[in-house]
Amino acid sequence: MMGPDVSWYLILSSFLFTVGALGVLLRRNPLIVLLSLEIMLNAANLALIGFARHLGDTAGQVFALAVMAVAASEVVVGLGLVVALNRNRVPLDVDRLSTLRG
Amino acid sequence: MITTAWICLLSPLAAAVLITLAGTRISRRLAGYTATASVLVSFVAALITFFRLLDEPSEERSHVSTLWTWLSAGELEIGLSILVDPLSVFMMLVVSGVGFLIVGYSIGYMDGSDEERRYFAYMALFVFSMLLLVQSGDLVILLAGWGLVGLCSYFLIGYDQERPAAIAAAKKAFIMNAFGDATMALALFLLIQRLGTLEYGAVFDGIEGAGGDWALTLIALGLLGGAVAKSAQLPLHTWLPDAMEGPTPVSALIHAATMVTAGVYMLVRLSPIFEAAPEILDLAAGIGALTLLVASLVALVQTDIKRVIAYSTMSQIGYMFLGAGLTAYSSSMFHLMTHAFFKALLFLAAGIVIHALVAEQDMRRMGGLGRALPKTYAAMLIGALALAGIPPLSGFFSKDPLLAAALDAGAYGQLLWVVGIVGTFLTALYTFRMIFIVFGGEPSPFVREHLHRPGHTMPALWMAWTVGALAVLAAVGGWIQFSPFWHPISDFLDPVAEPGVHPSGLEDAVTSVLAVGLAVVGIGVAWWIYSARRAEVPRWAFGQQLLEHKFYFDELYDWAFYRPASWVANAAIDLVEGPLILGSIERLTEGTRLAATRLSEVQTGLLRTYALALGGGAALLTLVFLAVKL
Repeated sequence: MMGPDVSWYLILSSFLFTVGALGVLLRRNPLIVLLSLEIMLNAANLALIGFARHLGDTAGQVFALAVMAVAASEVVVGLGLVVALNRNRVPLDVDRLSTLRG
Repeated sequence: MITTAWICLLSPLAAAVLITLAGTRISRRLAGYTATASVLVSFVAALITFFRLLDEPSEERSHVSTLWTWLSAGELEIGLSILVDPLSVFMMLVVSGVGFLIVGYSIGYMDGSDEERRYFAYMALFVFSMLLLVQSGDLVILLAGWGLVGLCSYFLIGYDQERPAAIAAAKKAFIMNAFGDATMALALFLLIQRLGTLEYGAVFDGIEGAGGDWALTLIALGLLGGAVAKSAQLPLHTWLPDAMEGPTPVSALIHAATMVTAGVYMLVRLSPIFEAAPEILDLAAGIGALTLLVASLVALVQTDIKRVIAYSTMSQIGYMFLGAGLTAYSSSMFHLMTHAFFKALLFLAAGIVIHALVAEQDMRRMGGLGRALPKTYAAMLIGALALAGIPPLSGFFSKDPLLAAALDAGAYGQLLWVVGIVGTFLTALYTFRMIFIVFGGEPSPFVREHLHRPGHTMPALWMAWTVGALAVLAAVGGWIQFSPFWHPISDFLDPVAEPGVHPSGLEDAVTSVLAVGLAVVGIGVAWWIYSARRAEVPRWAFGQQLLEHKFYFDELYDWAFYRPASWVANAAIDLVEGPLILGSIERLTEGTRLAATRLSEVQTGLLRTYALALGGGAALLTLVFLAVKL
């Protein structure tokens, strides 16, 4: 029943978060950016569940479920935007979507 | 009796409000009739008040009526109150009586003017203000009336809004009067501080206990400042000649018969205050004497018919100041009344002349009007003879006792008496210079070309009968009192303001003989020079210059007040406005714009920079929190 120590989960979680954050910052394709965002959210979920288990408190799991629901709706909106961009023949490159420059 | 006094006061106000609210729903003529009728109601109410007052024993003729407490500040309570006593009823009769005739005359004079309604609303408002001034039972109400007549005077001088000269004259009158109002208000502040009340009776009682107080002198000086400005006496007189830019009936009502005599009324009304500061009273008499001399000298060279009469008004009010300053109160008030008659007559008759000559006022283009306008000539002649003090016309009966009082008032009084006697000569000279130039001789080319004889239309009849009524008053109005033989006016007014001088019969006789003699000489000299043309007008370059520039008062004020003020203003523009105010605003906008440009560079439009800023910020915050926690 006893799995690995909670620190392992946290290390994995921070690794996933870093990967996701770098993906958001460095990649230019909005699809990949969205994907990286999901990875970041799931890294957070992993940390939540790890802590919930470690502390024996189910609140963390409830939070993780809530994050999943938010992530799902966020992906719907994000993909919707990507589809709309593509329909309008806007290049799928976040660096070129800089009309709001000051 | 109190009720009739209130009716007298409020009737013109009602007319003014009515004309204003009715606007174009009533015809122009009806507006004129409304105003005239309201002033007639006032006059009738004043008459009833007068007769009821006569029925009472003379020591009980003083009634105060307070509508409500108008202002309450700490200990000070000011009621909206009127005072009915012989002096106020006397002034009510003069104001509403002469006012009725002049407003009636305006129906004819202003006929065809585009904005008659506005004119009559102002006129009615003026009569109300003047009645408020003379009926006030409290110094604050007096000041309110004082300010209101000044306001109406401003409105009416500038009635002709399209002429810049009229606007400038209106502003000048207002500013000069505001100066007097200010000194008066300061005097009232001092009175409140010393006595804690501004109600006439309480103030006069308080003054008696406060003799020799230096503040009393200041109070009297401040009040005199107001009187001098309102009555166009030296040195605040320069507005009155310019005020002739207003319509002629306005000049007659406001700048001859009523408003400008308010200063004399105040000297008499507040005589207990002035008597407590005798040096100020002497100053008032001196100012009056100086003004009468200066004004009659300047009147000798004026070419505008209305300005001649305006300077004559100044000089006649100088006589009244002289009398009031030497405590000959009832003589002063009597002269105020006869002056209202004959000066209004002169102005209104001059108005007919101006009307007949299509608004020409320059006497040099007139001449020979005696044959063309015989009735006007007769009216003007009556006014001129009354002004010169020729018996049996009214001026004789009122001016001579005034001068006789001066003869009785010690060495200072005798000095002023000499000035006054010289003044009678000058008065006759300038008045008949005007008469001979305008009416004498053959018609001038201008007159032959432009003369319009007044017809027998309704407006012309209004002008004619009011002038006729005033001519009768100017002729016989003086017979009411012939000191030392009978003196009902003195008997009526003396309980209010006890005179301090009692000229003997001999002094009366000497003064009368000298004054009438000099007036006849003055008329003779005027005839010699301007009618018979046996002598050239004496030309004395320096004197001519001095008089034509009206003793350089305007230039002096220009140099002493206007120039420094505009210099300071210009300096302020160069030194403060430019660099400080405008400069700071410019720098401020420049700085804001620069900062905004710089700041907007942060907005790259690149999603990744925002994400980095977000993440970096969150990381930084976490570190800070951790650091604090540890």
